[in-house]
Amino acid sequence: MLEALSLDDRVAVVTGGGTGLGLEMVRHLARAGANVAIAGRRTGPIERAADEVKLLGRDAIAVPTDVSDSAQANALIAATIQHFGRVDVLINNAALVSDSIPTPIWDISDEDWQAALDVNLTGAFFCARAAARPMADQARGKIINVSSGFGIRGGRDIYMYCCTKGGILQLTRVLSFSLARYGVTANSIVPGFIPTVGTDSEIREALPRSGAYLPTGKLGVPEDIGPVAVFLASSASDYMTGETFTLDGGGLAGGLAPTGYAPEIPLEP
Amino acid sequence: MPLLPQYSLAGKTAILHSAGGDDAPFLARALAEAGAAVFAVCRRQDTLDAVLGALPAQSRGYGGIVAALDSEAATAGVISQFQFLHERADILVNDGRSMFARAATRIGLEDWDEVQSRNVRATFLISQAVGALMIAQEYGRIVNIISGLAERGMINGSAFSVSQAGLLALTRSLAVEWGQHNIRVNAIGVGWTTADDIPVEEQRQEQLVRYIPLRQKGQPRDIGPLLVYLCSEACDYTTGQPVYVDGGLNAHP
Repeated sequence: MLEALSLDDRVAVVTGGGTGLGLEMVRHLARAGANVAIAGRRTGPIERAADEVKLLGRDAIAVPTDVSDSAQANALIAATIQHFGRVDVLINNAALVSDSIPTPIWDISDEDWQAALDVNLTGAFFCARAAARPMADQARGKIINVSSGFGIRGGRDIYMYCCTKGGILQLTRVLSFSLARYGVTANSIVPGFIPTVGTDSEIREALPRSGAYLPTGKLGVPEDIGPVAVFLASSASDYMTGETFTLDGGGLAGGLAPTGYAPEIPLEP
Repeated sequence: MPLLPQYSLAGKTAILHSAGGDDAPFLARALAEAGAAVFAVCRRQDTLDAVLGALPAQSRGYGGIVAALDSEAATAGVISQFQFLHERADILVNDGRSMFARAATRIGLEDWDEVQSRNVRATFLISQAVGALMIAQEYGRIVNIISGLAERGMINGSAFSVSQAGLLALTRSLAVEWGQHNIRVNAIGVGWTTADDIPVEEQRQEQLVRYIPLRQKGQPRDIGPLLVYLCSEACDYTTGQPVYVDGGLNAHP
C-alpha cells in the first residue's frame, strides 16, 4: 500500500521552487524519486535547487519564469515536456510574499493590487492552463496549488494576499471538477505560519510570536510541507481531488485566541 | 522504489477502534505495513477476526479485544487489556462510522441515541482514556475516520450526519486542547466507498456514482497511505483538520 507514496521517475514542475516552501517541496519530491523542473524569476536560486536535485541522483532543469506572463508559463511547461517527455505534477507555489505585509486599503495602489493578482492567482491559472492539456492527453496529472490560512480567514489590512489565496482554493475546486473526467486531480495545500528565509522581517513581526498562540505552541518549519507535497503528488492521493490539506499548527481549528494562552491585543480600534 | 523515511511508524504502537463498517482491516494493514504494532478494539467478533486476519503474520501478535465502549468502566477494561500487552499508546485511530438510513420522521429515540453512542460517545470515551496516556508521555497522534456527511446533509441520513459532524467537532476541540502536549488530532473524511472490487464500468451503472467527479466509489485502501502520514511523527504541524478523500464530492455543487 505504501509504495503508492513513491514518485519514482515522475516529472514535477514547481513554481517559486528556488526558495522557501517551494525549495523544500523540490527537495522532498526528489528524495521521493521525482525529476523536477524548477521555475522562479531569479536564476541563482533555481539553478542551485536544480544542482541539489542532481546531487540526489535525479534529473532537474531550472527554467527562469515569471508566471504572470502567459507566454512564459506556456514556455515553462513546453521546456519541461521537451526535456523530460511529459509532465505529471504541477505545483503552483509562486507568490508575492511582500504582499502579506499589512497595508491600509487607502494606501494600496492600482499597481499593487494588480501585481499581486497577476502573480498569485493569474500565474497559477496560466500554469494550470498550460499543463492541463498535456496532462489530459496522458490521462493522468496532479495539480497542487499552494494557498494559505489567509485564503480561508481574513487578515487585517492584508487585502491581496487573502483575496488571491482564497481565489486559489476556488481555482482548485473548479479544476478538480472540470478535469476529473480526464484523470487529472487538483488539490490545495494550506500552510499556516511557516517562516522561511524569504519571509520579510516585517511579516515575521506580524506573525504570532513564536507560535505561542497556536494549539501546537510553535510555528511550522519549511520541512513540514515536504511529506504533504509528496503525498499529493503521488498516486496515494488518487481518490482525493478538489480538497485542501492544511498544516497550520491548529490555527484554523481553534483560531488564534482560545489556546490557553492570552494573546496580547493592543488597545486600539 | 524511493520512499520518504517520514512515512514510517516503526516502533510505534497503535490502537485501532472500529465502531462498525468494513474498513478496519484495511486501516490495520496500512498501519502494520508502516511498521506499527496494531491493537484492535472492535464492537463485534467478526470485525476483530477480519482485522487480525488482514494483518501480515508477523504483525498478528499485538492483540485485540471485542468491546462496546458504552461506559467508562468498559473503556477502562479495554485500556487495562491494552496496557497488559503494551507500554505506550502512540497512535489512536477511531473509525466511528456505524450507520443506518431512515427518514427523520421515523427515527426512534433509541436508534438515534445508539448511533450517537457508537460513533461519538465511544470515540470520546476512548480518546479521553488514551489521551490521558498520551498527555503523560507528551506524545500522541489521533486520527478519526469520518464521513463527508460531516459537512453535508443527506436524505435519510440525519442521525448519521449529526454523529459525523460531532466527530469533526471533537477532532478540532481535542486538537486545540491537547496541542501543547505534542498530540495531533486530525480526521480523514471519506465519500461513497466500497470494500469490494467492483469494475468501474459496472459501478457507473449507478446514477450516484456518476455524480462523483472521479466517477467511481472510494476504496478503503485509498486512505491507507494518508492514514500512515497523519499517524507519523512527521505530521507535526497539521492538527484539528479533516482531509477529505472523496473523489471530489466536497468541491462539487
